[in-house]
Amino acid sequence: MELDRLVLTRRRLLAHGAKGSALVALGPLLAACGSSGGSSSPSSSSGSGTTTVAGGSSATGTPKSGGTLTFARSVAPTQLDPANSIIAGDVYTLDKIFEPLYVTSPAGQLTRWLATGYTASADHLTWSFQLRSGVRFSDGTPLRAADVVWSIAREQANSDGPLGFLDFAIKKIKADGDNAVVFTLSEPWAPFLSDISVFANAILPAKFGGKTEKTFFANPIGTGPWLLPSWTADSNLTLKKNPNYWQSGKPYLDSLTINYVSDQNQQILQLTGGQAQIIDNVPPSNVASLKGNSSVVVTEYPAWQTDILVLNEQLPQFRDVHVRRAIAYAIDTQKLVDATSFGTAKPATTLFPPSLQYSDPATPTLAYSITAAKAELAKSSYPHGFDTKLLISGGVQKWSEFAQIIQAALKPLNINVTITSLDHAAFEATFQKYDYDMFIDYAINDISDVDEMASFNLDYKEGGSKSYWSSYDNPKVIDLVHQAESEFDSPKRAAIYAQIQAIVAEDAPFVALDYPPYIYATSTNVKGFAVNPGGAYRLEDVWLA
Amino acid sequence: MIGATAVAIYRSYTGRRLAAAVLVIIGVALAAFVLLHVVPGDPARAVLGEHAPESAVLALRRQWGLGNSMPAQFGHFVADLVRGRLGSSYFYHEPVVRLIGQRVGQTAWLVLVASVFAVAIAVPLAAIAASRQDRFADHAVRAVGVVGLGMPAFWIGIVLIEIFAVHLKLLPVGGWGTSLWGHVKALVLPGLTAAFAIVPILVRSLRVGMLEVLESDFIAAARAKGLTETRVLLVHVTRNAIIPTLTLLGLNIAFLVGSTVVVEQVFALNGLGSLLLDSITNRDYPVVQGITVVLASAVVLINLGTDLLSARLDPRIRLQ
Repeated sequence: MELDRLVLTRRRLLAHGAKGSALVALGPLLAACGSSGGSSSPSSSSGSGTTTVAGGSSATGTPKSGGTLTFARSVAPTQLDPANSIIAGDVYTLDKIFEPLYVTSPAGQLTRWLATGYTASADHLTWSFQLRSGVRFSDGTPLRAADVVWSIAREQANSDGPLGFLDFAIKKIKADGDNAVVFTLSEPWAPFLSDISVFANAILPAKFGGKTEKTFFANPIGTGPWLLPSWTADSNLTLKKNPNYWQSGKPYLDSLTINYVSDQNQQILQLTGGQAQIIDNVPPSNVASLKGNSSVVVTEYPAWQTDILVLNEQLPQFRDVHVRRAIAYAIDTQKLVDATSFGTAKPATTLFPPSLQYSDPATPTLAYSITAAKAELAKSSYPHGFDTKLLISGGVQKWSEFAQIIQAALKPLNINVTITSLDHAAFEATFQKYDYDMFIDYAINDISDVDEMASFNLDYKEGGSKSYWSSYDNPKVIDLVHQAESEFDSPKRAAIYAQIQAIVAEDAPFVALDYPPYIYATSTNVKGFAVNPGGAYRLEDVWLA
Repeated sequence: MIGATAVAIYRSYTGRRLAAAVLVIIGVALAAFVLLHVVPGDPARAVLGEHAPESAVLALRRQWGLGNSMPAQFGHFVADLVRGRLGSSYFYHEPVVRLIGQRVGQTAWLVLVASVFAVAIAVPLAAIAASRQDRFADHAVRAVGVVGLGMPAFWIGIVLIEIFAVHLKLLPVGGWGTSLWGHVKALVLPGLTAAFAIVPILVRSLRVGMLEVLESDFIAAARAKGLTETRVLLVHVTRNAIIPTLTLLGLNIAFLVGSTVVVEQVFALNGLGSLLLDSITNRDYPVVQGITVVLASAVVLINLGTDLLSARLDPRIRLQ
């Protein structure tokens, strides 16, 4: 039984106890999003999602309306204010009720949502968004530009909140009539559209529709597909269909019950016992047996996540690039994945996972070679090895297995590893105080743009984490990261990111270990369910066959 | 005169036990407070996220009183406790008392149902073992008890779910249900699982008690009157053994309450145990401290009630 809740979270941004990430560096524009703004209509989101997954709850067939679905979910909500939310249970609940102007589709692309598109000025400082007509809040009140202005201004003013800094590039926001909003930016900022798509920038009725903040969030009103008739800060909740939802006929289900089930065995038993129709967080070790169950569909969704081994460059042995390279050479990521993921994960090559645009599969990496590892170590100041410690988050089998494999892999180099395991909150507090030699964690993206991962993990000066607490400081890389942030031409950005990935692979501040997927299981009668690479799912397209 | 003396002794005993109970609760509160605050982990950073400026994190810590010294924080906590206040959750933004009120029902029902199951299972097993002392049935009951003590609650729970929920589909896999009947059905398997945690202890103690009763003169008299062995066991032995069983159950209530934390996890019950585990993970100090104090108080009060009842029934106890 996994008691550590961290295994249950999808992403660090949304993790218990952890949060935030380099959202100041959030995402560049996708190639699909030209200056006229955005990809296809939202109704296609489910279909596009199925193309990116291995198996899954296909949306084939004619959707049927009605019915109730129970989701046994591993995260629980604590409160529903987008401006103050960061843990997974909150975010993955409030996003059913509140919606932003753009969203990330299951295929990982920015998709027009409450906005039907935008136009940007040639200098990329003025962005004008057209609002979708006919959108109403769940109480029947029409969505107006004033609601957008108020909501985003509220989030921007919440600078001490989890994502308040996100809107730093917005200099001014104003309504242009009832159906358009104009943003003026302080600088050309390529990640702007991705910033806007984040749940924290979801649209609420201006001034809470005349209610107090507390009253409003006890009975929240949004434009999303679902209503929450009552909210008592309990772990379980029942969402009802929003009769005023702007996508005609959706959501297909009448209601949606989301139960908090933190124990993975209990989740699986609820699914196989027919008590729940969707579960998240399926352990890789259970995938094969569940796939053998004819009443269950297991789906692996690509994630914006790379598991990494972080080396503390504040220590002399890890400031030595040859030591870092030796360690990278010594770890056989294919064997590591084979031994731990039961065929679900892929061995990592570059820091940026392939699910992200600009991940470069041609990056020259330090592929496993014990000969090369020994040669690198011989060139270092520690040719005879050294003793070191490896810190991991406890209670998660995967990290424990990774640690043991890495411990064994470094033994031939005479690098003797002692494994230390702490509960997750203590683990984070420890490495964030640099009280570690090496630790295993994951690099993640929360939006559709690789810039978040690039800046948070590689921009020592402004990324916010001193290169994910590794203290890796390469001015050339930092400069390239900044160049990409203001580069709007997609091929040019691709070239910049390819250069970054190549340098990082050579410098080896981290060892990229694997790319794990999100693993969900559903009953076979569940159709249209899809998860985006950030781990979000809206469920308006789900129906029961 | 003798009656007045006995009342005085009983009152003195009650006073001593009450004072001890208060001290135990304060001790538990102090232990929970210290343990929680000395382990690494920052709830303010957790709430605000990795990118919140340090100034915002410090401001939030100050708002929560976490910038004060540990003794000052503990003093504040105890002062609030005396006034019946447990503070507000850092994550839920709700008073801890209200959160506990929302969750305590499932835990209380679980403990109650588990207690009933424990007695209902332990008494017949002990009777079988005692009536067949040193024979196969006795050895079997004792052996099963020893094995049962070694089996973790979560494993027993999973086995019960597999049999009764997944295969036989008689009971729900987990959760609390949505109706009264749903709640009743939802409590059967977790109640049994929690009961199994203390049944072996009860059986062993009860068996010994029953053997003593079986050797009593009044049992010999009952047998001499021609009563059947079953009637002797059910009417005379069990009735005399049930009071020490309840006393024993009261003394083991702490173990039962502790086991509900795991049982709630296994059966997806969102009671105090589930809230406690989540709050520890999140370092939601007020909630952890509040639940700890409430659970400790419940255990202490039940033990106190058991002690006082025992002293009432057996004068030798209060004179010790």
